[in-house]
Amino acid sequence: MSARAHGVWWRWGAVGALVAVLAALPAIVGALPASDAAVPAADLRDAAVGSADVGFSGYAVSAGGLRLPVTQQLTEAADLFSDRTTMRVWWRGADDHRVDVLGAAGETGVHRDAGGTWTWDYESSVAARGEPASLALPSPPDLLPSSLGRRLLSEATGGELTRIGARRVAGRDALGLRLVPAEPGSSVDRVDVWVDRATGLPLQVEVVAAGARQPALDTRFLDLDLGVPPASVVAFTPPADARIVPAPDPLSAALDSGRSSPAVQLPAALAGLPRRPLEGVPPAVGVYGRGVTQLAVVPVSPGNTSGLRRALHAAPGSVVGPAGVRLAAGPLAVMLVETPDLRAFLLAGTVTLDAVAEAGNGIWRLRPS
Amino acid sequence: MTPVISTRGLVKRYGRIRAVDGIDLDVRAGDVYGFLGANGSGKTTTVRMLLGLVLPTAGEVALLGERMPRAARRVLPRVGALIEGPAHHGHLSGRANLALLDAAGPGGSRRTRTRRVQEVLEQVGLGGVDRRPVRAYSLGMRQRLGLAGALLRRPELLVLDEPTNGLDPQGISEVRELLLDLHRGGTTVFLSSHLLAEVEQLCTRVGVLDRGHLVLQEELATLTAPTGATVVHTPAADRVRAVLDGRVLAVEGSRVVVRGADPAEVNALLVGAGVPVTGLALQRPTLEEVVLAAAGSSPDRVEGAR
Amino acid sequence: MIGVELSKLFRRPRTWTTIAVLNALPVLVAVLVRLTDLAPRPGEGPPFLSAVLTNGALYPLAALAIVLPLFLPIAVAVVAGDSVAGEAQAGTLRYLLARPAGRTRLLVAKLVSVVAFVLVTVLVVAAVGYLTGTTVFDVQPAAGTSVSGTSLTQEELVGRTLLAIGYVTVSMLGVAAFGLFFSTLTDSPLAAALGALAVLVASSLLFTLDAASPIAPYLPTRYWLAFVDLFRDPVLWRDLTRGLALQGVYVGVLLAAAWANFTTKDVTS
Repeated sequence: MSARAHGVWWRWGAVGALVAVLAALPAIVGALPASDAAVPAADLRDAAVGSADVGFSGYAVSAGGLRLPVTQQLTEAADLFSDRTTMRVWWRGADDHRVDVLGAAGETGVHRDAGGTWTWDYESSVAARGEPASLALPSPPDLLPSSLGRRLLSEATGGELTRIGARRVAGRDALGLRLVPAEPGSSVDRVDVWVDRATGLPLQVEVVAAGARQPALDTRFLDLDLGVPPASVVAFTPPADARIVPAPDPLSAALDSGRSSPAVQLPAALAGLPRRPLEGVPPAVGVYGRGVTQLAVVPVSPGNTSGLRRALHAAPGSVVGPAGVRLAAGPLAVMLVETPDLRAFLLAGTVTLDAVAEAGNGIWRLRPS
Repeated sequence: MTPVISTRGLVKRYGRIRAVDGIDLDVRAGDVYGFLGANGSGKTTTVRMLLGLVLPTAGEVALLGERMPRAARRVLPRVGALIEGPAHHGHLSGRANLALLDAAGPGGSRRTRTRRVQEVLEQVGLGGVDRRPVRAYSLGMRQRLGLAGALLRRPELLVLDEPTNGLDPQGISEVRELLLDLHRGGTTVFLSSHLLAEVEQLCTRVGVLDRGHLVLQEELATLTAPTGATVVHTPAADRVRAVLDGRVLAVEGSRVVVRGADPAEVNALLVGAGVPVTGLALQRPTLEEVVLAAAGSSPDRVEGAR
Repeated sequence: MIGVELSKLFRRPRTWTTIAVLNALPVLVAVLVRLTDLAPRPGEGPPFLSAVLTNGALYPLAALAIVLPLFLPIAVAVVAGDSVAGEAQAGTLRYLLARPAGRTRLLVAKLVSVVAFVLVTVLVVAAVGYLTGTTVFDVQPAAGTSVSGTSLTQEELVGRTLLAIGYVTVSMLGVAAFGLFFSTLTDSPLAAALGALAVLVASSLLFTLDAASPIAPYLPTRYWLAFVDLFRDPVLWRDLTRGLALQGVYVGVLLAAAWANFTTKDVTS
């Protein structure tokens, strides 16, 4: 081998080694083992549910794989479950926190205080003030692993929970807790919640639909700093040139139509799921089920019925039955029921297609009281 | 005498082709070395290997007594080069080009730069050049500017590849005078060319390259030394054979080649016999004859398959 | 050596033509937005463009955001692709190396001069953007509003704008390194520039593709828009630091590859 060929080889060899080291670094960091601890499932659940007052700030990403047939009013809520949402959070307490949804060219910040929420949208320069409500569409803060994990675990029974090892999330040791719903007709196969060993904060939540291999929803922290963030970061004062509006509430229209529609007494149970008592909600609106398995029934105003029906019919995989059209998207089932006396209800929840059909039949048989 | 350029077993292979195949150059201080060879014989590749531009497949190059390309940073500032025609930044003036080239390497003091640039410009006959960008220069001006670049650091060795390319006859003569002048000042010149006449007029030593092989390397004086025969020009060629029986080597019209290294003796014999002699000279081989005898046919000839 | 390269670059008329063309687009956009009063809808168009209607002092950022995705990287790819291949094509490379300018030194000097070009270009775009913004739009001299809705003082705004200029400059290093590496592979500046552009286009395309999300964090264009994060309050450093590190890795690897190739290459141009 000549001197020149030798020089070529050692130079390119050095470059190759450099590339190999750099390429291997992320894999090595990712393979750092997490240390497990012998915490029983019930204790871990209690720690997670009781973590609402742990102060922290962090950076979280949620990725949803749902493809929902949506109407205009529901776009933002549906995007939460079908897109990748990047969030920054500063958490001082359940009614004192700030969650920013980051966009490439702006952000939407939700600032929660004792009296309600400020929602700041940079690109349209609008600050919206909203009241706390007992029933609302999902908003970005609900997708934080900590909030979602607490909500899903809060109604879980001891028999539904098992321990599943540990992993590293956001650089911290997280203990796994698996929830397999016992409710009949649930479309959720399991929910894996990874709980911070030190504080009980849920750090990652994976919701897997029955029969699926990929999670339908995966939300996790990428960065987490413990410690109560300063109040000045969480507080919000609308900028001088911002437009200030009341927060739009897509559900209020439905609730209004529920109030104006002829009084209907929804049954105490649908498809084997008991009705939940809710404050400030008209009798025509109902939520059934427990924990991970829930089904909402909302009356649809006559003006919206045909558009919703068209959207559901057009969606791939929709099933038309005598009571109405139904559709499953991941763990979520949706059904539009049109009763013989020309009223319409939308059923949506984490139940199987069969369960939603059964519930639909229950609604279809209702008669005005 | 220390060799200024010496190569040992220099080989450059491109794939399966051996562009340069084991040459041993030997250029000594004070030489004006003519490096001859047809187009494609490997001249340019050799020149580039000398300067460290092309890295040899095998063999060694020593320039001014130091190994190349290892010692390039020490050696090359003492070498001036003109490689395959001049090249400049067209949007800059000639002065700016020279100043940038001078600043790009070691051994050019910033303080004396303007003065040195002006000196070499005068040396190559561009002393009065204005701020025109080089792209407006004629071919000859560019050639002179390239030569100025090579002379910028008063090199001990000049490596020139076809330095008179693009020059008019006056220009060629000026460059020749300049090179001879530099040579008298002690500069060794390595001149690569395919122009036999140019080499014959300038050089003291000659190397001939043929298809990657150095087929000849010798003092020009030795190559063109008298052959021991005398050339006689006479209108009565047939009578010469009668007078100098057995000594006539060849007759071509009025030109007769006669054995004998003393023209006076030949002349006396012929005149004594009443043969009219119009010309008389010692026979010397021309460089062309030497080169043609050493090298084969032109490498850019493509023979048909037989 | 670096001085020589800088002098070559900035004494070249083409360099200034490129910078002038680069500035034409933001100026045109400013005039059009002013005349029609049609700012892009939220979520569309370059960042900060809707904000300049209320505060023209933000226009340097909008101008950077306008040239960042395409114009600036094209200019960088052309200049970087020309760096070594251009000298080879003109024939000046052999004289430089015979001067001798060491090959490694030449590479570093070329990279530095490309970086200087990016910095000067970005500064000129920002300056022209400021002049355009303040003449075409209304200006709020006191302060600006951050992306998070808090108010920024004039000093904060200037400081963060300078940081953004620095970040955009660093973001271009990856493209520059690709251009420089390709420039050592070929004697054609055009081929080298096109090679760097091909990398750029491929990276931008893969970034939008869900199937490519596992490699997304390693794409050279991944963190380009992260300069917007400087205007969040508090500043979100996560993507900014990753962007800097990623560009550093690209520069390191490609410069090493360029060095391995160039120092053992036969210069036959």
